[in-house]
Amino acid sequence: MPSRMIIAVLRKQFPQVTFDEADNTLGVNSFPEWDSLAHFNFMMSLEEAFAVRFSLDEMAELKSIKEIAVALSSRGIVVT
Amino acid sequence: MENLGVLTFGDYADWPSALLEVEKVPLLWVLFLEDVLSPEAGQETAIEDTDRLFDAALAPLRGRLQAMQTPVVVAWSTWRPHGILQDARRCTAWRRAARRIGDILFDLAAHSAGLYLIDLDNLLSKIGTDAAFDARNFYSARCRLSGRGISEISSATAEILRRTKEAAKKVLVLDCDNTLWGGVIGEVGLSGIALGGDGKGKAFADFQRGIRRLAAQGILLAISSKNNEVDVWEMFERHGEMVLKRSDVVAARIDWNDKSDNIIAIAEDLDLGLDSFVFWDDNPIEREKMRLALPRVTTIDVPLDVESWPALLDRLELFSRFSITDEDRKKTQQYHNRMRFVTERANTVDKTSFLRSIAMCPKAVAVNDATVVRAEQLSAKTNQYNLRPIRYTAAEILALAAANDCVTFLTSLSDKFGDHGIVGFSVARPVDDDAAFLDTFLMSCRVLGRDLEAWMFATLAARLHDAGVSSLYAEFWATERNVVAAQVLPQHGFKRVSGKDGLQMKLAAAGLETKGGDLYCADIKYLTRLPGLEVFETCPVV
Repeated sequence: MPSRMIIAVLRKQFPQVTFDEADNTLGVNSFPEWDSLAHFNFMMSLEEAFAVRFSLDEMAELKSIKEIAVALSSRGIVVT
Repeated sequence: MENLGVLTFGDYADWPSALLEVEKVPLLWVLFLEDVLSPEAGQETAIEDTDRLFDAALAPLRGRLQAMQTPVVVAWSTWRPHGILQDARRCTAWRRAARRIGDILFDLAAHSAGLYLIDLDNLLSKIGTDAAFDARNFYSARCRLSGRGISEISSATAEILRRTKEAAKKVLVLDCDNTLWGGVIGEVGLSGIALGGDGKGKAFADFQRGIRRLAAQGILLAISSKNNEVDVWEMFERHGEMVLKRSDVVAARIDWNDKSDNIIAIAEDLDLGLDSFVFWDDNPIEREKMRLALPRVTTIDVPLDVESWPALLDRLELFSRFSITDEDRKKTQQYHNRMRFVTERANTVDKTSFLRSIAMCPKAVAVNDATVVRAEQLSAKTNQYNLRPIRYTAAEILALAAANDCVTFLTSLSDKFGDHGIVGFSVARPVDDDAAFLDTFLMSCRVLGRDLEAWMFATLAARLHDAGVSSLYAEFWATERNVVAAQVLPQHGFKRVSGKDGLQMKLAAAGLETKGGDLYCADIKYLTRLPGLEVFETCPVV
């Protein structure tokens, strides 16, 4: 199951879009609204929500919520 | 931003296509000097060359401003990372260019109604450039700003767009003890009050200076305080450090009544809606009571430390307007006059002879470049005595005034209570050869109760008569606020049109849109000799 906490941020980012919240492969381009600009905004919202800062490399590489969850866990954040 | 719209983004650095977009939605353009002038160029470029670069960069903006009035907010930043030493001995080309772009933008704004500016160097200094800019965002998404930087700009933009739709507040209601000065006058007396000098006393004096600046811009000052009235006025008249004068205050309720009742009474005296009021009181209990009793009044969250008040007042956007007219500057005096009028009228039995005795002298004033700002302001701010509260921009008003077949004029008034300035605005548009439609008819509430509307109708009718028009159609478009204008038409010889569908079609055919209100019709000849006109004997219709 995808992380509930990440999904909550995603839902806030795309309030008009309905998407499958149980989909483990959710990521950039999963739906048309989730383009690269929206992804950039989403990453900034995650930074705010989890009080972290992603590196430039991470901004380029983290394209799915699975990868994001791993990056957050590696910082010792318990992502549920 | 939530209530005002959603920010959508265009492609980075592609401002021409975003600006030339035909869609009429407000636009925010965040412009970095670095995107126009490369730092290398900024070292050497002569001022004429930078001007040429700016001209090219701003051309799409000029194009849009000419094509439409829809707001464009330009937020510009001249910041770039650089050391202290290079600026320590000489004014660099970059610094000159930075100053120049600001001048050019303000010059453009002075000539374009739709342009609003945000100086980001100033705005972002509040959180600091380290917090506002983020190089990572630039290299990952070509966004120079951090999340915080973006959010500062969105709030500033929201503030501007809100003011394009909502009128600024008009009245500041103040408490006295521990608000205008430190200490309780009834307990410590004049000599025990903290005001002026150093420390807290200086903070109170500076707060009063800030209030006085607001008054000079036309914000009305009122007092609601729980004191012995004589103590308060003694403080105003005898304490050497008082910045505010008694004459700065247009209305005062100094007693032990509920402050909400006092504000209602002040609102009635001044003929202003409660939405126009802002309440400043150091006492949190009074503030809480006000919020509960009168939620339409804006109650300020006053912090405990007085030293923060002067800056808080200066930064308060509630009273800010984009331009201040001569009319605004006269406001305090005009409301004093209003209060005298109300008092004297209350003391006379025969209204007609009273109105005759005050020697009213109304004048029709043409709409032109000099008066259009006031016309726009009246159109935007007149909520009560307004038959059809349609908000026109300056450009739209000038277009109406220039149209040959429209009769458009402003009305100014002076009488023994003083010069009230421009207080009325009316527009009649053609329906056919024989008839016109009253598109706009409004009057400032400051001069209510003088039958000035009769003079305005008669003047309008005389001009329409000269143009060969014999009937005037009108609409009363009821809103929440214009109840006071509901009887204006029937009281001045207009007959309600029953079965208005036919008339509506006739108006629509002439390109006139009605708002679904009751429609009326009057005979032009009758309007030129309305009964109320007798009080204007010395100043006939022109």
